[in-house]
Amino acid sequence: MRIELDRPRCEGHGLCEEAAPQLMHLDDDGELVIDVPEVDGPDLDAARSAVRVCPVAALRLAAA
Amino acid sequence: MTAPTESDIDIWDDRILVDPYPTYASLREQAAVVHLPKNDLYVLTRYDAIRDALGDPETFSSTSIGFNLMVNEALQGTSLASDPPTHTQLRATLSQNLTPRALRGLKVTIDEKADKLVAELAASGSFEAIDALARAFPIEIVADLIGFSGHVKDNMLRWGQAAMQVIGPLNQRTQESFPIAGELYGWCSSVTADDLAPGSIGRGIFDAETRGDIPQGSAGHIIHQYLGAGVDTTIASIGNIVALFGRHPEQFELVRENPDLVPAAFAEVLRYWAPVHIWGRKATRDVEIDGVTIPAGAQVGILFGAGNRDPRHYGNPDSFDIIRNPVDHLSFGYGPHGCAGQGLAKLEAHAIIEALARRVKSLTVSGELREPSNITRSFEKLNLEKVVSA
Repeated sequence: MRIELDRPRCEGHGLCEEAAPQLMHLDDDGELVIDVPEVDGPDLDAARSAVRVCPVAALRLAAA
Repeated sequence: MTAPTESDIDIWDDRILVDPYPTYASLREQAAVVHLPKNDLYVLTRYDAIRDALGDPETFSSTSIGFNLMVNEALQGTSLASDPPTHTQLRATLSQNLTPRALRGLKVTIDEKADKLVAELAASGSFEAIDALARAFPIEIVADLIGFSGHVKDNMLRWGQAAMQVIGPLNQRTQESFPIAGELYGWCSSVTADDLAPGSIGRGIFDAETRGDIPQGSAGHIIHQYLGAGVDTTIASIGNIVALFGRHPEQFELVRENPDLVPAAFAEVLRYWAPVHIWGRKATRDVEIDGVTIPAGAQVGILFGAGNRDPRHYGNPDSFDIIRNPVDHLSFGYGPHGCAGQGLAKLEAHAIIEALARRVKSLTVSGELREPSNITRSFEKLNLEKVVSA
């Protein structure tokens, strides 16, 4: 699966980073960087958590 | 004889507004959608139904977030009451000063102010927490943020309460509040950059308008939304923090022992007692949820507090347990209209919880009072005694 970010919608709340620090982080400007866009195995659960906690629904998982 | 998915309650009945959770439980067990003919309203009661609706603005339009025609007309053209794609630009303009990255610089000041206020109150041994803390703190923070003082600051509490109250149905509370909400609207329409303190975010919004970065005439609207949305809700949350720590000393002790639990504690306060009762949407088509059809054009009411206590989503939902860290609670809404000020709300509430954990060893609530209110649910009075400084 592939993590997709709706960039204009992202407001940098950072809950996704807390849920999946191995997959994404906020940079020094508070912009979200997806470090590992293609996910499978155990990373997939973390990615689902990140998508789930985004308060503005800016993240989604799509077929790779 | 009412249908199994109908209820003859009035969701704005005084007794329900003061103590809504028994009603929420029975509506939620009836169905995910319950028709309330007395209110001409379909309420969403279960977690999944609420979250799905908030994430689907095409079906659940924000053109009817309020429960009377006058307020929905007054809100036209704001991000609050618009749908994508119009919403997207308005929201960006509104939220660019409220995102966590934009607020980072405020954290130190907010933490210092919270610590000073809580330390003084704790040293006094007994105090009334709503006026002295829950109201005083957010009003000062918002006044600094927007850059106003004087008579505007003095009016902030009644203006902020009225701005929320008028979102309700045309009951007496709404009718009495319209003139007061009008005072806030009037001030926001006439305020200019020179009225606001240099260096404040409010002044920055006017500068952005002058530069052409945001549309002409939008600065006053943005300030109106900051004040309308950011005062009464935060006051409710801070009062709830104090009241719940008073009722659950073992939970307060957990935070005192481990300040890393501060964000989890605030998430649980928001889940357990939603600051906002109900918020509106309009169904744009016939939509079926768990076998119940909401007809196209119907007014929908989202019961955040009912969803937050749905046993289908949270185990043991009626217990206040900060360890559960419910980051997906519904009290900030969700999706494109998710609370734009949640970053600021968290800064303020986390600062207060940290200060309480640092400065207070124990506290006892000796008296409390709630007044019915159309949209927000908060304490009017919360007397604390035997407050022991740490």
